[in-house]
Amino acid sequence: MLGLCGRRLLAVAATRGLPAASVRWESSSSRAVIAPSTLAGKRPSEPTLRWQEDPEPEDENLYEKNPDSHGYDKDPAVDVWNMRVVFFFGFSIVLVLGSTFVAYLPDYRMQEWARREAERLVKYREAHGLPLMESNCFDPSKIQLPEDED
Amino acid sequence: MLKYIIPTMMLMPLTWLSKNSMIWINTTLHSLLISLTSLLLLNQFGDNSLNFSLTFFSDSLSTPLLILTMWLLPLMLMASQHHLSKENLARKKLFISMLILLQLFLIMTFTATELIFFYIMFEATLVPTLIIITRWGNQTERLNAGLYFLFYTLAGSLPLLVALIYIQNTMGSLNFLILQYWVQPMPNSWSNTFMWLACMMAFMVKMPLYGLHLWLPKAHVEAPIAGSMVLAAILLKLGGYGMMRITLLLNPITDFMAYPFIMLSLWGMIMTSSICLRQTDLKSLIAYSSVSHMALVIVAILIQTPWSYMGATALMIAHGLTSSMLFCLANSNYERVHSRTMILARGLQTLLPLMAAWWLLASLTNLALPPSINLIGELFVVMSTFSWSNITIILMGLNMVITALYSLYMLITTQRGKYTHHINNILPSFTRENALMSLHMLPLLLLSLNPKIILGPLY
Repeated sequence: MLGLCGRRLLAVAATRGLPAASVRWESSSSRAVIAPSTLAGKRPSEPTLRWQEDPEPEDENLYEKNPDSHGYDKDPAVDVWNMRVVFFFGFSIVLVLGSTFVAYLPDYRMQEWARREAERLVKYREAHGLPLMESNCFDPSKIQLPEDED
Repeated sequence: MLKYIIPTMMLMPLTWLSKNSMIWINTTLHSLLISLTSLLLLNQFGDNSLNFSLTFFSDSLSTPLLILTMWLLPLMLMASQHHLSKENLARKKLFISMLILLQLFLIMTFTATELIFFYIMFEATLVPTLIIITRWGNQTERLNAGLYFLFYTLAGSLPLLVALIYIQNTMGSLNFLILQYWVQPMPNSWSNTFMWLACMMAFMVKMPLYGLHLWLPKAHVEAPIAGSMVLAAILLKLGGYGMMRITLLLNPITDFMAYPFIMLSLWGMIMTSSICLRQTDLKSLIAYSSVSHMALVIVAILIQTPWSYMGATALMIAHGLTSSMLFCLANSNYERVHSRTMILARGLQTLLPLMAAWWLLASLTNLALPPSINLIGELFVVMSTFSWSNITIILMGLNMVITALYSLYMLITTQRGKYTHHINNILPSFTRENALMSLHMLPLLLLSLNPKIILGPLY
């Protein structure tokens, strides 16, 4: 635990150019050591060669200024709020409430009603001796055809 | 319908009047809330559609497409945040306005009752898409891509305008709800053949059909991520939706008129899948994969059986989510390496393991792994084409094998193996990217639990 904090402290100090520790300190419970850096005060030398695998100078590394970046914005406060908005409204509201809504949709496209109605009609027709289904959709006596023209 | 149109229109003043730091937060928040309200459309009846007014209606075909459209806007906003961070404020707001305008036109296209209104909105969606591709694309080829995109679609759809006006004059109305009951069988004659072609070519170009698909790899590759997402997920489905609506008027000549297009699609899906195996450009591979999947949808719509319509609708929604997710994954690679070449950024599983998990899931749904809705769609289409003609099963089976081949090829090339020495500066995955992938994947997985809502009007 202390080692983690120590590493964080050293990282922060390294990016900001401040000395993290002025004296050497060793933990008695773990093997963590905090020591003043031998490079303190010295500026790193400029790279002499540019390699293709070096990051492009225009590329902004969002993790450099803000190691906890969520990838939305440079400003850490806006970044965190954007992350919260996406997760709350995207997952907690739309996905959760939306899937609950879809799961409890009443009888989508009346499928369950159709099954109950079919069973009811079959029971009625079997009880009354009527055929279960007629091949005519509409009653043929009610259809009025135009007169035959020769 | 106004409960969707007015909030979407109001997203525009929201972007222009928000504080500088809040534009993305405000627009993402409110577009997510609009997508929540879109679920209300799922209150569908079994024998009728939801008729909101004389101008707008939504039935079981347009509802899943509308929900997908409204779900995609917040995802597009999240995906674009990084590459637009360097632009000045007015350009950012203009980009978001183009996305909102596109969303508005798409909502009105999918719910239009009057077919001329549908046509006007169908054409209107071209304008913001063209602006997004040509202004915010990354390479010089984007101008050529925009030209191909615009003129292919326009050339295909001008005959549709003539055909629609002719139908208005003969039938008396172009209101879709009335046309369903007034439609007369179309006898076979030369003029009706051209009428059939005029009605269908616009949607064939949009789908795209194999011979008319040249605009798609260009447009998808050159578009910025939001453009690629909306093109792959929604604009292709406009073609499928239009075809399903217009075939109502075109019976019985569709029985034989559809043969050349069924042949082209069956052959085309194998051809484009095979081309995918030879691609070096990652976005180009995903674009050709879209052509292949949409060829399945074309075949399904043209054979006009209940199961094929169910398969077509399911496949449209499944492909929308999967393809959009693949483009987001490709973009996450592109933002790090600034190249779309697949082998340039390989072995990513060791460097970005969580993103590798998303790559795996996206590739698995792309190759239609059970029980995803991709499989349900493809299976219904394969079954109905087998019943239509037994020989098609050879082609369909071959296509499924090649689809699996190129999906796994894409997965293995980008994720597996030893990473190259020159990508050691890759940044870890952002929370934004992981959230984006899960917002694509979770609806897909949830739909496999309850696919009845995407199976369309013949369910």
